[in-house]
Amino acid sequence: MRYYIPFIAVLGLLCAAPSSAFAKVNVFACEPEWAALSKEIGGDLVKVYTATKAHQDVHHMRAKPSLLAAMRKADLVFCSGASLESGWLPILLQKAGGQNVQQNTVGWLMASDFVRKLEVMEHVDRSMGHIHPEGNPHVHLNPHNILDIADVLTERLFLIDQGNGPAYEANLSAFKSKWKTATATWESSSSNLKGSNVVVYHKSWAYLTDWLGMNIIASLEPKPGLPPTTAHLENLLQSLKGKKVKAILVAPFENEDAAEWLSERTNIPVLHLPYTTGGSDNANTLEDVFDETLSMLNKAAH
Amino acid sequence: MSNKLLLAASAVAILSASPAFAADDVNLQTLQAEIQEMRQAYESKIEQLEQKVETLSEQQNQTTKKMAATETAAGEALTPATSKRHIADNSFNPEIGVILQGKYQSFSANEGEFAGFAVGEEAERGQEGLGIDESELNFSGSVDNLFRGSTTIALHEHGGETEVEIEEAYVEAMALPYGLNAKAGRFFSELGYLNSHHSHADDFADRPLPNRAFLDSNYGDDGVQVSAVLPTDIYSEIGGGVFRGNDFPGGGADGNDIGSWTAYGRVGGDIGDNTSWRLGVSTLQVDGAERSANEDKVVFDGDSSLYIAGARLTHALGNDQELIFQGEYFHRDEDGTYDDNDAGTGAIAYDDNQSGWYAQGVYKFHPQWRVGTRYSQLHAGDVPAGLVGSALDDGGHDPWAASAMVDWSNSEFSRVRAQFNREELSDGNEDDQIVLQYIMSMGAHGAHPF
Repeated sequence: MRYYIPFIAVLGLLCAAPSSAFAKVNVFACEPEWAALSKEIGGDLVKVYTATKAHQDVHHMRAKPSLLAAMRKADLVFCSGASLESGWLPILLQKAGGQNVQQNTVGWLMASDFVRKLEVMEHVDRSMGHIHPEGNPHVHLNPHNILDIADVLTERLFLIDQGNGPAYEANLSAFKSKWKTATATWESSSSNLKGSNVVVYHKSWAYLTDWLGMNIIASLEPKPGLPPTTAHLENLLQSLKGKKVKAILVAPFENEDAAEWLSERTNIPVLHLPYTTGGSDNANTLEDVFDETLSMLNKAAH
Repeated sequence: MSNKLLLAASAVAILSASPAFAADDVNLQTLQAEIQEMRQAYESKIEQLEQKVETLSEQQNQTTKKMAATETAAGEALTPATSKRHIADNSFNPEIGVILQGKYQSFSANEGEFAGFAVGEEAERGQEGLGIDESELNFSGSVDNLFRGSTTIALHEHGGETEVEIEEAYVEAMALPYGLNAKAGRFFSELGYLNSHHSHADDFADRPLPNRAFLDSNYGDDGVQVSAVLPTDIYSEIGGGVFRGNDFPGGGADGNDIGSWTAYGRVGGDIGDNTSWRLGVSTLQVDGAERSANEDKVVFDGDSSLYIAGARLTHALGNDQELIFQGEYFHRDEDGTYDDNDAGTGAIAYDDNQSGWYAQGVYKFHPQWRVGTRYSQLHAGDVPAGLVGSALDDGGHDPWAASAMVDWSNSEFSRVRAQFNREELSDGNEDDQIVLQYIMSMGAHGAHPF
């Protein structure tokens, strides 16, 4: 009988280890913006793994070995959804995802499921390029969406890590009051942007322009997901004649050559906006991202 | 992470520390009362939240539908009613994917026999001229919350006849504990890097020589495979399977026994933000195979053990440029008899090793353009006296092939490729090959190969 005692003790330790107060919630964030939000709400109670960097195009990622290792440990998978990650997330989930992070579980959080999506398609065809029938997945660039998603994130963290519920709620209310003030400032400072026109590389900016009341009048990509062609750019050049355009918006993961080409011929300034956290030297938090974006847009508008 | 466990743990901690607090009974009681209170508060909150999550997902579905309805109402005039069907990969229908491939091939040599090897029909260089290559139909989807199913049916022409082949038909248990994954049915086993991939995801128009000679391009057999991604900081995975043993390098399995088994292990990780690597070893063991090769002219009867070691490195250069290096080494140990009917050898005892390797590099220098080069070689080993002059006699020559390719992808769903091969599979028989190819994928968005 005595042989059992160390065995049971070890077993007990093994069982207790993951549930000890020191075990952090492992968040697998597909994009830097969701990693940043997880840190705001989770603070020291979560350990955040960021699958992609600001300069990487999330569309074209691969299910790299390091991502499999991170998915294996995930308690919460936090991504944009709307098939933005369809080239690699499903295979990570199939190969390494635990029971608690599968689709339709508490550990599966797709941000775009919880906001009003733009560009929801009724009829889609691949001849339209790489579009997402579920709607535009780049939802984080409207600060109101961030608030809604922060609520859902807090609920999920509460359910996953019940012992620390009050801490998450405290972080949420601190974040919300900070965020609401900041949003009011951004909105009041941006009134002169309303109705102005911009050219974008890809429709990654739809939520930003929708929020600020700006118009995307052209994309450098001939179709979503297809790189700019000379013919398409020549057409753009003609069609933009006589139109007032404030700026050409380019994200860190987008090729700037086409934007520069158009800018040289039209004198429309190219704006390298941070797009997400880590997208510029100063964009360390979500607040920084919006601060910098608004200040760059306002500068271009003058 | 559960609340109860945490409470139990703190209770244990409190109890075991009780001597120090013996005098503080009152404190303990208040503490217990507080814990009790907290627990009740949590439990009701959790219940509320759980209900909320459930109703949320329902509401969400409804609102998306409503929003879609209102949005289309505005655009009604523009779109005819018949075109309004909503297509998404994960509705109740299985995800359907169709791969269309076509090829033009031209060879300078009349034949392409492998010196010292008896190979299956998928190892051959294919038909010359214009022709449709393999077309694939894939259906996949969640069966329920635990199982996922997938089947791939390939249509191809061989010797003027259309062949329908069940390439894969398997179910997979998802979300098993401890990172486990189980697959049953027919599928491409995890063997080296290329074997589990379908040919349309390859970087070249054909497989390298060792995959062609040792695996007949793909080993896909009926069986069960279990794998586990281990909870380590770097990626590590182990797995293995048991199979009927009917597919090349197996054959003639009567099903009385397990005909073959596999095992593999691999590790991988990142170096900085832009480089990722992966190393793997695997084995395929076939017991008591009765394998026909070289168009049924050569029969191998015995045990065949294949070992593979490989490495792969991807390196991103800026936003849309990438370098991929990959190489694998194959070693096969066979013990049994070879019988070459054509050479009239009769069954001759054979106990020897063969080997092969390939190395390749692909450079994506533009979002739509890639170039690549590959070299592969085989070594047949010694030939017993009884098999001199047969297909197993390599005549002192190691088969080799060198390839260069360029491909263009309009989108991630279409690819057009030109490839040049120079092969010398038997002594003095140099074969210059030109391959022009298209690969188109429609329907469900497949995963990017990794």
